[in-house]
Amino acid sequence: MRESIIMKIHYGTALGAVVLVAIHILFRMTQNFSESLQYQNVIANYHFLPYALMLEVILILLSVHGFNGLRVILLELKQGIMYEKAINYGSIGAMAVLIAYGSRTILMAGMGMS
Amino acid sequence: MAERLTNREGVKGMINPTRYGIERFAYWLQRLSGLGLLAYLIGHIYETSTIVNGKIAWNQMLGLTQTPQGHIILVIVIGMCIFHTANGIRVMLGHGGVGVGKPGQPEYPYRAASLNYKQRLCIWVSIALAAFAMMYGAGILFGD
Repeated sequence: MRESIIMKIHYGTALGAVVLVAIHILFRMTQNFSESLQYQNVIANYHFLPYALMLEVILILLSVHGFNGLRVILLELKQGIMYEKAINYGSIGAMAVLIAYGSRTILMAGMGMS
Repeated sequence: MAERLTNREGVKGMINPTRYGIERFAYWLQRLSGLGLLAYLIGHIYETSTIVNGKIAWNQMLGLTQTPQGHIILVIVIGMCIFHTANGIRVMLGHGGVGVGKPGQPEYPYRAASLNYKQRLCIWVSIALAAFAMMYGAGILFGD
């Protein structure tokens, strides 16, 4: 994929994440902060389907943005065919692992498997 | 080739924020805050995954994170988040050609049109917004 397209994805994921993370934080502020972290309240958040879907989208956007950012930093430091390949595939792998792990939490908590 | 390699500063060059003015400092802070936020994201996903292990595991994790030290880390994360967002929007607009000035003949004292007062102001505004958000966040976290 061309770097110009990757940067557009980077900026798109950033803008999307800003909006959704703001909603995520506002949800914490609908009540007292420590109260909002109580087990029942957090589980209730996961059971609320639109919110759970939003968490999944945030997870994907931030993972893509975060690991692409890390990839850019690492490619600025050093160049080389093998190195660049390792960094590119490594960041895609790390991204996939983080998304899979986060999705597992959202799915299990949302379906009451806790 | 050897000369080119000796000129390469690598990590040392990247972590040095002192040269080239405030723009370089903003570049450095953007990367530093990005790495910090990625580390926080990974930690946050791990932290929240304990909810699937039941109430006791969740409360044990809260006992670890809902401490004064945990709150200080959260305040730093708020600051990094706001700076990274505001400065990132500046960079995005700059890449689109917004606020970077018009190209022209280089004339003494050879000031780059792209590094103008608008850009510098945006960097200071990003830092100020981050500071305000940190104070607000600290008020909420420590006020509980």
